[in-house]
Amino acid sequence: MNSQHIFRDFDKAIDALKGEVITMASLARQNLERAMRSLLERDIDLARTVIADDSDVDDLERKIDQAGMDILVRFHPMASDLRLVITSMKMAHNLERISDHAVTIAKRSKKICKSSPLEEASLAEPLYSMADSILRDALTAYTDSNAELGESLKARDKELDQLHKQMISSLSARLEDSNGRAENLLHLIFVARSIERIGDLAVNMGEDAVFLGEARDIRHDHRKPSSQKPTLLG
Amino acid sequence: MHVTLNPTETIQQLGTSVSVRDLDFSYGSSPALKDISVEIPAKGVTAFIGPSGCGKSTLLRCINRMNDEIPGTRITRGKIEIGGIDIYDSSVDVVKLRRDVGMVFQKSNPFPRSIYENAAYGLRLRGERNKTVIDEAVEKSLQAAALWDEVKDRLQESALGLSGGQQQRLCIARTIAVQPQVVLMDEPCSALDPIATVKVEELIWDLKHEYTFVIVTHNMQQAARVSDKTAFFYMGELIEFGDTSKIFSNPRVKQTEDYITGRFG
Repeated sequence: MNSQHIFRDFDKAIDALKGEVITMASLARQNLERAMRSLLERDIDLARTVIADDSDVDDLERKIDQAGMDILVRFHPMASDLRLVITSMKMAHNLERISDHAVTIAKRSKKICKSSPLEEASLAEPLYSMADSILRDALTAYTDSNAELGESLKARDKELDQLHKQMISSLSARLEDSNGRAENLLHLIFVARSIERIGDLAVNMGEDAVFLGEARDIRHDHRKPSSQKPTLLG
Repeated sequence: MHVTLNPTETIQQLGTSVSVRDLDFSYGSSPALKDISVEIPAKGVTAFIGPSGCGKSTLLRCINRMNDEIPGTRITRGKIEIGGIDIYDSSVDVVKLRRDVGMVFQKSNPFPRSIYENAAYGLRLRGERNKTVIDEAVEKSLQAAALWDEVKDRLQESALGLSGGQQQRLCIARTIAVQPQVVLMDEPCSALDPIATVKVEELIWDLKHEYTFVIVTHNMQQAARVSDKTAFFYMGELIEFGDTSKIFSNPRVKQTEDYITGRFG
């Protein structure tokens, strides 16, 4: 929407809502980045910061929900405006869960850091890079209402799932001959699991961006009956 | 011989109740409607929305030829058919047309008579003398208008003693007492409080399986709540017509989107 709303307050309210989502996304991504750095650089203080800062993300989720409800009550938005409010509230929910996964990673990192260095920790780095790239694009899809970008994330998440499987299989093999490192390897498996879930949440956000941009609901498309899918016969 | 509108079977066969085709309408030399074509489906609610002066009320009034009363107005092209009958054909009896195509106005306008006489008015006008028939029709229409329980013990009291919301529902009862095929409503709730508005909206919702409603409203939430189809007008043109759920969630035309999201002008 380029032109001005007849209620100038509406534009202000919607800009503020979008701004809060972008701030929350920055914080969630920052928490994730610091959680991973604490794991890779064995920085316990950084892990503690992630755990402490999660409450800021929680506060923002509440703030965004309240702002969204205020807009619904005051302005009764329609069409793309309504979709923006709903999508922003859903983005906040997904970002809160992403930050929770960052906290999980930070907690596991703290435990891993208390023991001798775990060389397998570096296996999580490419997984994180891929998940963060999907997350970044999910946020771009939201800010730009870019349905095409949002829809493309599912395929990339499959690559992430594949990488996750490879990592789990590699760590499982090492578990058998772990020489007392089994607990830390299990912590790392949970770290990998959190990163994989972040990919899933980013895909959810991409799906919401499709709804925002084109009012199409592509969630659970794989479960739709085959009769609804286009066939070669039309 | 004057033609009245066809019975319901014909409407169902045609699958449409009101068909507006290539309509141009002018107030003197000023065009008010330009090339309007819309098929308003039978037995449902169609909302006309748009800014003031867009032509929505003009089109509504064309559907029961209310504009005939305004000097200098004329349809310059196109036609309106109801149940396959061209309502501007010279053989159409306008009085009977307005019985078949009833109208409820922005401000409730009960006659300064009893509640009973208001509901019975249309029946008496068409020559009904049988008291049993009139009694039954009055009760049925007041029940359909969700007013019966509130007035059944004071049917002989003046209609002017009713609240604004009750008066508007009485006007709806008066309209449907003669079993019209189409009910036109020109901002029927704009003078009502939220509770009275809800009652009228529920009434429309309950009756839509029996009548074809066309409602002009400036209240977008009302259009979204009560209608099955929505038509958006701007400067005498029909910009978009479609399912209400689609119009209010993902309209096809940018002008519609701008209007319903409050970015017009």
